Amino acid sequence: MTDTQEKKLHGVYAEFDAVDTLLAACRRVRDAGYTRTDAYTPFPVHGIEKALGIRPTALPWIVLGCGLTGSAIGICMQVWMNGINYPYIISGKPFYSIPAFIPVTFELTILLSAFGAFFGMLALNRLPKFSNPVFTSPRFDRATDDKFFLYIDASDPRFDHNGVTRLLGDIGGTEIQDVYEDNSSTRVPTAIKVAFGVLAFLAIVPLLAVARMRVTNSPNPRFHVFYDMDFSPAKGPQTTSTLFADGRAMRPDVPGTVAVGQFDEDPNFYTGVDLDELARRDQTRAVHLVRTMQVPEAEAAPASGDQPAAETPWLAKNPRPVSLALLERGRMQFEIYCATCHGNDGRGRGLVTARAQQILSSAWVQPSSLHQETLYQDVYPDGKLFSVISNGIRKMGGYGSQISVRDRWAVVAYVRALQLSQNAALEDLPVNRRNDLSRRKAEVEQQLAEQAEAERRRAEEAAGTTTAPAAEEAAPAPAETPAEAAAPAPVTPEQPAATEPAPAPATEAAPAEPAPAADAEMEAAATPAAEPAPATEPAPATEPAPATEPEPATEPAPAAEPAPAPASEPEPTPSPEPAPATEPAPEPAPATEPEPAAEPEPEPAPATEPQPETEPASEPEADAEPAEEPAAAS
Amino acid sequence: MSEHTHKLKPADDPSFQLPASLAALAVPLGIGGAALLLVGILLGLFVLSDGDVGGKRFTMSAYLTGFMYCFTISLGCLFFVLIQHLCRAGWSVVVRRVAEMMMIAIPALGLLFIPVLVTAWSDSGTLYPWSNPGYADAHGVPAGVWAEKLRYLSSDWFTVRSVVYLVLLSAIAIYYFQLSRRQDETGEITLTERMQARSGPAVIAFSLITSFAAFDWLMSLAPMWFSTMFGVYIFAGSVLTAHAAIAVGVYLLQSRGAIRDEVTVEHYHDLGKLLFGFVTFWTYIAFSQFVLIWYGNIPEETHWYYTRLLGSWGPVSYLLIFFHWLFPFLGLLSRHIRRKPALVFAWSVYLLLVHFVDLAWIVMPEASTNFGGAVGVATALLVTLGMVGLYVGGILWFMRAKQVRVLPVRDPRLPESLAFENI
Repeated sequence: MTDTQEKKLHGVYAEFDAVDTLLAACRRVRDAGYTRTDAYTPFPVHGIEKALGIRPTALPWIVLGCGLTGSAIGICMQVWMNGINYPYIISGKPFYSIPAFIPVTFELTILLSAFGAFFGMLALNRLPKFSNPVFTSPRFDRATDDKFFLYIDASDPRFDHNGVTRLLGDIGGTEIQDVYEDNSSTRVPTAIKVAFGVLAFLAIVPLLAVARMRVTNSPNPRFHVFYDMDFSPAKGPQTTSTLFADGRAMRPDVPGTVAVGQFDEDPNFYTGVDLDELARRDQTRAVHLVRTMQVPEAEAAPASGDQPAAETPWLAKNPRPVSLALLERGRMQFEIYCATCHGNDGRGRGLVTARAQQILSSAWVQPSSLHQETLYQDVYPDGKLFSVISNGIRKMGGYGSQISVRDRWAVVAYVRALQLSQNAALEDLPVNRRNDLSRRKAEVEQQLAEQAEAERRRAEEAAGTTTAPAAEEAAPAPAETPAEAAAPAPVTPEQPAATEPAPAPATEAAPAEPAPAADAEMEAAATPAAEPAPATEPAPATEPAPATEPEPATEPAPAAEPAPAPASEPEPTPSPEPAPATEPAPEPAPATEPEPAAEPEPEPAPATEPQPETEPASEPEADAEPAEEPAAAS
Repeated sequence: MSEHTHKLKPADDPSFQLPASLAALAVPLGIGGAALLLVGILLGLFVLSDGDVGGKRFTMSAYLTGFMYCFTISLGCLFFVLIQHLCRAGWSVVVRRVAEMMMIAIPALGLLFIPVLVTAWSDSGTLYPWSNPGYADAHGVPAGVWAEKLRYLSSDWFTVRSVVYLVLLSAIAIYYFQLSRRQDETGEITLTERMQARSGPAVIAFSLITSFAAFDWLMSLAPMWFSTMFGVYIFAGSVLTAHAAIAVGVYLLQSRGAIRDEVTVEHYHDLGKLLFGFVTFWTYIAFSQFVLIWYGNIPEETHWYYTRLLGSWGPVSYLLIFFHWLFPFLGLLSRHIRRKPALVFAWSVYLLLVHFVDLAWIVMPEASTNFGGAVGVATALLVTLGMVGLYVGGILWFMRAKQVRVLPVRDPRLPESLAFENI
């Protein structure tokens, strides 16, 4: 103990034999004004806080704060998630359904309270603490056995070494010892370092294993930790179920019910028919129509025969006030439900149609173009269009169970806008848009003229000076440069046909926003953009005449989806290789020969060709963009 | 051990006797209670009634409410005594006799149950609709289902079960009361050991009896409704009320000069904590029972809540949320409140009042979709008040006649309880 003089004094403790003497001593020390004190006992002693003068802890307030925070988080989170951000009907309960929110709120309250209590306790006690200078005293070990200790810290404002020692002696401390700062090394023992290293390494192993599994293949099926979470027993759409008598897993609307938030008193709104007028013309049909809304269709007795006695008085006008928001809504629904078949432009050449043609499906009937004059509003009332959307017509199914009533009317409004877009004059546009459009139109016309010029010159050169390769090299060049300048590059090859399809996108895209469209215009223009391209090719595809030209160049682009092979194939125009060979073959007999036309055929053919694959691989990518862009640009 | 050293007073200290001012209340309370009970019943039968089952059923429902009010207090006190022995608790010895005083009322309450048994034998379904043979037809219950129900809900089987419940509960209550009293004289430690040893099986029997008694006596008021949680719900309310009654009893005894030095702030603090805990527990159970039925939304289950949430009972349901949970929850949250005996007493009185609303909310809607008007409310209040007067008067009379001390004076854990400190 020679070197204790150099060490800093940390405090003084006294030893006691019994809890009663300790408590008495605590009170004396407290009354003497010491505050940085502590008592160590082998077991919890009731009342020792009071004896030591320790103020009540702030922990309850921490816990209260945490608990209230948990409640607030729980309530707000659910209100936000289920009521505002993603309103979703669960079990037929309202969006804001307090009873359903309570369990989560309760759990979060408890969780945060427990965290507050546990971590708050640790923080208030300044734990974890690895060591305490009093541990350096060997006698102190008996604090966990049979001795009681009272400790006064040297940092106490009233601390005075001699005075404290005397006081502790006076109040019955049997053994009074000074406690010095612990000067032992703070270096972490090697064993602990090694242990941590090993643990850290072991902790990485699972991550490495996972990482490795991410990049390796295995013939074994995946291991499912939670099988029923990976494969939910929930039924998917269009599946069967033994739960219901009709075997359908998807349940139709309960007859006579309306989905939440969609109730409207007006039956006309649901049928698209002016029921008052219908009742005047044909009472039974009107009754029948109302009844089908209320009872299952099978139960509703059929009306008088198949032939309606009188013409149906469809609602001529959309009952919803047309606004930009309504059209946007209608466009969204149209592109979700209708465009796959009817196409984004409504010409009946959607992706499904394209695919059906690609695989030469014989069963597919091309959907009607919405741009037939017989479908215009003056001859085809809005109510009838609504009814068709709701109930279907010919091969088209009804979408009444999928699109809400209000949205169906929005779709009707959008279809009208689409139709208008194909027949709009320049004067229909807002004034500030006209100049822009005229300028673009002039640009396109100028480019077309230039290209026609180039074509003509090339033809002349080919005929005259017979430097064929040079001409051929020169030809693609002008076609490429405008393409990069977002000009209608693909138009080039189709020059003869250009008169017809080229203006089509122009008129279609621009007036697609007949309403005082602000910025929606560019979007509207961009979306149909994908269409005009396909719109051009299927048509020529049926005609054998243009097939000789490198026209199919534009065709693969719309296929957009898988078919990279055909895309690469025609563009390079490496002479009439496989591309024309495969293409024209199925053409003459699309309807009669469904079988051999199956999809795999066209694909492997070009795939085997090494030539198109290697070189033009870069080109089609560059081309794929212009294929879509020109329409947007025009 | 601590600042104030507790001197154990001699067993015949006058402060351990029932205060004379309270003992004098026994007969007036008993007679007054009986009178009120009678007035309430007559009011219900002749003023409210127009001779049909409705008036009779309303009166009997009010009677059942009053009976269950007192019975649940005694039941909770029995549980309190059992659980203290089961845990070998030290702190509670000074308040245990108060619980034992109310617990020993169970045999007497068994006599008050006789009118309920009698109505169960009446064919008209005076109280329990299942005793009416026409119930199934009137409510469109399929005959097969009803036949199965009737195997359990038949008058004779109901009677057998009720008698078994009451006899078993009485036996447990008498056993614990007698041993505790004998210890007052002899101070044998073996008595405590025996009570502890038997408390385990007794608690098991208690829990089963409580659950099934709740099913039989209260849940079968709506014969087609079932909730497996219902027994726990009644238990939660019962134990909550018992703690409130113990606090009230101790406070009243102290205010009349008895056990002033024995029961300290620390014991009130513990009772307050238990009150707080059981307020929360009651809410937890009540909500759990509700939310499952509400979420499932099956007509067979929802109709019970339908009658209570819609119509004139609706406001009562919402009041229960605030008055049976939120206010006492917030009011008992702080330890500063729980460490003030007067405030613990006040909250206990409050909870005793709210417990009546809870029970009326369980029983009365089956008899009347409204409150039965002013006469109906008066009937229910008078009957319950009378029953409580009879109950308290009877207990006081018994204590005075048997010279029962208000403290288990020779309990081996009494010194521990006296020295008890929370912190």
